[in-house]
Amino acid sequence: MIAKPSFIENLQLVWALVRRGLNEILRVPGASLPGVIAPTIFMLGTYSIFGKLALLPGFDTSDYLDWILPVGFVQAAAFTGAATGVNLARDIESGWFDRMLLAPAPRWVVLAGLVCSAGIRVLMPSSLLIVIGMSVGLRWPGATGLIISFVTAALLAAVMAFWSCGLAMKFRSQDAAPLMQSSGFMLMQLTAVYAPIALLAPWLQTIARVNPFTYVLDAVRQSYISTISWQDTWPGIVAMVGMLVASAWFAVWRIRKMNTA
Amino acid sequence: MTPVIEVEQLVREFKSPSGGSMQAVAGVDLAVNEGEVYGFLGPNGAGKTTLVRMLVTLLRPSSGTARVAGFDIVNEPGSVRSAIGVTLQEAALDPLMTGFELLQLQATLHGLRKGAASAKADELLERVDLVRAKDARLGTYSGGMTRRLDLAMSLIHEPKVLFLDEPTTGLDPISRKVLWDEVRALNHEGTTVFLTTQYLEEADALADRVGIIADGKLVAEDTPENLKADIGAARLEVTINDPASHAKAREILGGHGRLLKPRSGVSFFLQLPPGDTQLAPYVIELDQAGVTVDRVDLVEPSLDDVFLLKTGHHLDADAADAAPTPVP
Repeated sequence: MIAKPSFIENLQLVWALVRRGLNEILRVPGASLPGVIAPTIFMLGTYSIFGKLALLPGFDTSDYLDWILPVGFVQAAAFTGAATGVNLARDIESGWFDRMLLAPAPRWVVLAGLVCSAGIRVLMPSSLLIVIGMSVGLRWPGATGLIISFVTAALLAAVMAFWSCGLAMKFRSQDAAPLMQSSGFMLMQLTAVYAPIALLAPWLQTIARVNPFTYVLDAVRQSYISTISWQDTWPGIVAMVGMLVASAWFAVWRIRKMNTA
Repeated sequence: MTPVIEVEQLVREFKSPSGGSMQAVAGVDLAVNEGEVYGFLGPNGAGKTTLVRMLVTLLRPSSGTARVAGFDIVNEPGSVRSAIGVTLQEAALDPLMTGFELLQLQATLHGLRKGAASAKADELLERVDLVRAKDARLGTYSGGMTRRLDLAMSLIHEPKVLFLDEPTTGLDPISRKVLWDEVRALNHEGTTVFLTTQYLEEADALADRVGIIADGKLVAEDTPENLKADIGAARLEVTINDPASHAKAREILGGHGRLLKPRSGVSFFLQLPPGDTQLAPYVIELDQAGVTVDRVDLVEPSLDDVFLLKTGHHLDADAADAAPTPVP
């Protein structure tokens, strides 16, 4: 038996894979631009069109920007996670991913490299979102609120990256890209994106109440529309941990199945 | 000799489009000795790549067993991967990275620390003559340069066994020769090489032993010399430009042995009796019958002849053009 790599060696490898994942942003910035600016465009567009919605009873804020900006974090995470899966599908098609699988490193290390890369990449659209939001009048959410926002975006990007990578390994083709992109989009739309749950149609209320994105979004949103409370935070943590465990399990299952198809 | 690759009754099934199953590899047994270059020869779709993917742990066998460098490919895949270097059919390299970065990443993938990884990357870049291109992105590399870098990446951890899956497919003759020289040098240094190829001359030039696979089965295995010796006698290639003389020539040559279907541009292909390597008697007899012979060659048996004998068809279209098939 050949000695297994140490934990430190595995972490070095994760970092090497993260750096490789960041190459696209650094070396082909134009390719990643749409994903970086899309959440900000969405935030500005929705705020401009539906800005008066916040005057309706049921909103906890009078400024719709406070309500809609946190959605941008979720959207950025969904886009970045899906892009990670699409990139992996491309690497599988080209044969590059075989090289990863031929390394003696554990499979979880390869997955961790992909997912951590998504967690870091999402910080770019999130930062742009905050900067533009502040410039158009966003209320300062406080340092804690900002940290919650960025950590949530990173973890949710990891969730979506696990999920999308699992799909990439299942279908082994970029043809699965619409499935990766639409799953995050659908989960986001079927929650309290534009208005509080109480104002949604009854069928949508039912779905939103079981949709984990609702609780994650509420946890981020609290610092923008009111103050941070444990009551609004813990459901978000539970939802995030649940999604992380489920999506990681799916991705690990698929990477282990890679050599049996 | 110690076998470093031992394969017993290895089978790999895939679902067929019709819903049933088909065997891409159908019960292969083989053993490759330490320090050997083993050429695995077969046409596209014969099962070469499927077998390699199983041996390098990218594909789980449906049944059978195999050990590589002493490790079981199913139960000890991590140890197998530590002991082998692999260049797959397509040199899939990230076009955004430089050659040096790719080698560094590969070194990290195999557990080398940063300093050692950089030193090893430099050493290998020099070995494959890519020092000047080390900081250029892969997108700017030629096919030959990419293949050389791919080979260098597979050597980063000094593997005991090197799997080369059609390493020269698509390369120009000069790049092919450079790669052949490198394979010879590696083998000379003690690396066992498992080389799949669809090029007869490649197997002939590099392999100590050749296994021929067709329809997922190993149909022949020996040294290239022994395989060709099994074919036996040489063949006579006669070109007669005057069509009016063909009937007479056919009658004369046919009286000496079996006429085979000639390749294009050649009039007759005669299977000579064992031990017969004389051209002159045939030329004289034709000349005395008033047939003008424009060209005559003695053709030694090739691996394609072996392939034809064992499988009933030529290895590829180029080979088909270069070698005879029996006339019904």
